[in-house]
Amino acid sequence: MPLTDPASWSERVRQTLARYDEPLLRQVTGRLVRPRNQWPAEELIDRALAAVDNPAVLDRRLQDLEPSGRQLLALIAHARQPLWRLGNLVELTLALGQPDGLKPIFSLLEAGLLFPVLPGAMPAKLKSFEQWVGMAGSVGLSVFAHPAVAARALGEDLGLPELRSATAPAAGPVHEADGLEWPLRLSALWQQVKAGPLRRTQGGTFFKRDLDRLRQDPILSAPPQDALAELPDPALLAVALAEAEGILHEAEGELHAGPLPAAWEDGLARALESLVAALLRLESWDARDGFRVPAETTGNPYPSAYLLLLLLLARLPADAWAAPDDLEAWLRQHHPYWAGEDARPSRARGWVDTFLLGLLHPLRLVQAVKDEAGAWRVRLSPWSRWLLGQGEMPAPPPTFAQTLLVQPNLEILAYRQGLTPALVARLAHFAAWKGLGAACTLQLQPETVYRALEAGLTFETILGTLEQHATRAVPAPVIDSLRTWAQKRDRITVYPSAALLEFATAEDLNEALARGVPALRLADRLALVSHEDAIDFKHFRLTGTRDYGLPPEKCVTVEADGVTLSIDLARSDLLLETELPRFAAPLDRAAVNGRRQYRLTPASLAAARESGLTVAGMETWFGQRTGGPLSPAARLLLGTAQAAPAELRRHLVLHVPTPELADGLVQWPETRALIEERLGPTALAVSDENAPRLREQLVLLGIRLSP
Amino acid sequence: MTNDKPNPGARLPVKLHRRVCLVQTEDAILAEELLARKKMSQDIVGRLTDRVLLVRPGRADAVVQELQKMGHTPQVVSR
Repeated sequence: MPLTDPASWSERVRQTLARYDEPLLRQVTGRLVRPRNQWPAEELIDRALAAVDNPAVLDRRLQDLEPSGRQLLALIAHARQPLWRLGNLVELTLALGQPDGLKPIFSLLEAGLLFPVLPGAMPAKLKSFEQWVGMAGSVGLSVFAHPAVAARALGEDLGLPELRSATAPAAGPVHEADGLEWPLRLSALWQQVKAGPLRRTQGGTFFKRDLDRLRQDPILSAPPQDALAELPDPALLAVALAEAEGILHEAEGELHAGPLPAAWEDGLARALESLVAALLRLESWDARDGFRVPAETTGNPYPSAYLLLLLLLARLPADAWAAPDDLEAWLRQHHPYWAGEDARPSRARGWVDTFLLGLLHPLRLVQAVKDEAGAWRVRLSPWSRWLLGQGEMPAPPPTFAQTLLVQPNLEILAYRQGLTPALVARLAHFAAWKGLGAACTLQLQPETVYRALEAGLTFETILGTLEQHATRAVPAPVIDSLRTWAQKRDRITVYPSAALLEFATAEDLNEALARGVPALRLADRLALVSHEDAIDFKHFRLTGTRDYGLPPEKCVTVEADGVTLSIDLARSDLLLETELPRFAAPLDRAAVNGRRQYRLTPASLAAARESGLTVAGMETWFGQRTGGPLSPAARLLLGTAQAAPAELRRHLVLHVPTPELADGLVQWPETRALIEERLGPTALAVSDENAPRLREQLVLLGIRLSP
Repeated sequence: MTNDKPNPGARLPVKLHRRVCLVQTEDAILAEELLARKKMSQDIVGRLTDRVLLVRPGRADAVVQELQKMGHTPQVVSR
């Protein structure tokens, strides 16, 4: 969701209010809207959204709040991150000196100025905020504020001290990075994950192979170029930031690559804004220990500490410097995670200088300088002052459009001073990062170009980007390679979910194309539309529909002879028409109702068996397509080659007048042994040698044999 | 003598095959090459034309992966 896009947050407010039980909705909107009538629930939600858009109303409601409530909204506004973990907001409130961390949050929730993030599957509507707090699971609770509401609280005094450094900075240079390091790293990570997802264990960490892959990656594991302090687990920080940015998303225990942030297209300022917002939502990394297992981060205190550090720096005049140790000391005294005598010794290790110099400096959020004793001093850059709501957006840095050197060996040298987040994203689509530095290197490869084409780029757009930014003409071999790779992709097209139109006649197909139906002719009567949505059905009368995502349709009837198969053309599909010729021969004549017919023949089935068709396969096909078992005749034809040899022999047949008499003869032991087999209800087969003895037994029974 | 030409403006009778997975090749020889690949042929249930192969439902991803293993770079028209 765009961070400061009011429309998307308004919609989120609407959805949340709609999930409040009516008494709670009336209570909350009563504070926000102050209705004079008994409006229906829908009307109340509309009026609440109107109030959120009305600065005058908001200012009055903010004045009704305790200062701690306004401070909380001001913190959210400074952060430009409307979505917060409840625990982090409690920490921030306590750090600002409030005795009860939850009270201001509840006040804002009840005033309709803060909203709970409700779980997707909630059995009933929310009756109270206490009920919501009781829902806390392993993932914790989050809240959000509408950016328009939070923005009205900007300027509220947070009561933070001015921690100006006691020592003056030396005359040395002021260090300020270009802010591109993390867009570059994230795009390199994006390429890695595009090539293969990262797998998470049930415990929330990564499989060893993927962890090694990240930690040994030469780009991701190297310290940032502009870092003035070493970061723990920089590769895992990239993963955490990418997840918070939406560059990576989890699906079924795997992290997959999504799109690169749209904010990068809007310049460095918007890219930094998006990165800082992500920084304040980090789950699986902290500045002291590096990677932390997300499942154990229900109480990750670092995002609230990061914001406090930024705001402490923001309290200083633009030209004043602060010592990281002073900031850390304040944090240890005021932040509830580190304050107090019961804080664990493991928390004593410092991390603030790592955060400021190793992370915020490469992000271009702080400037650094050494003092006379050689210790680092820091202050906010104009970019972070703007981000924290304390100044105008700085002018974009001067760009040098011609910043790429494309070499005949398909390597690209990208001089950093000409790069922008948008160009970083574009390059990442079609070339692989090989090294980051003052001059970054990339390699054009068939796979990367293929990936770019799959993402919607074309040969022309790739070449256009190179030509626009190259310091000299793109070498001919590079153009040839790009063209060859692009053309190779055109050789095979896969339609994973196309719609096929099967016309009754070729003339109908011609007529449809003449009417502008966006179809591609495949055969005389078959046309392809890449997606069904593109079909205007006003041109057509559907004679049948077949969905290939569903199980096969029963559309075949087995005739009485057991070998003739009649196809219901309205229900049949293309699969059937390719399956049948494998084991049956088409019949020229049309059967009743114009059904198409095929016949199983010894030759057709022999050919099918030779090509790998099994009796089990045929049984499955008959079950799916006819709804019945394999016909005896088909089984006979299929089993011919394997059956025992048949025998043609003579028998005497004893015909008796009734089936009951035949039953008796077959059952009585004296005659049973003399009867070879029962041929029918009243017919019994007898061998020549047994005939005299059977005759004697029949006489004994009083059964007369006709001559 | 019957006139096979459809009436202009009339609705044309058509049978709709939805969610079909197809592979279309540049030429018939390439289609033969794909059919000759044992692993690929298991997922191809038929040949609609000399350049168009019908893929078993639900096997599109496997076919794309196999094509990539063969060194092809198929264009996947997903939307």
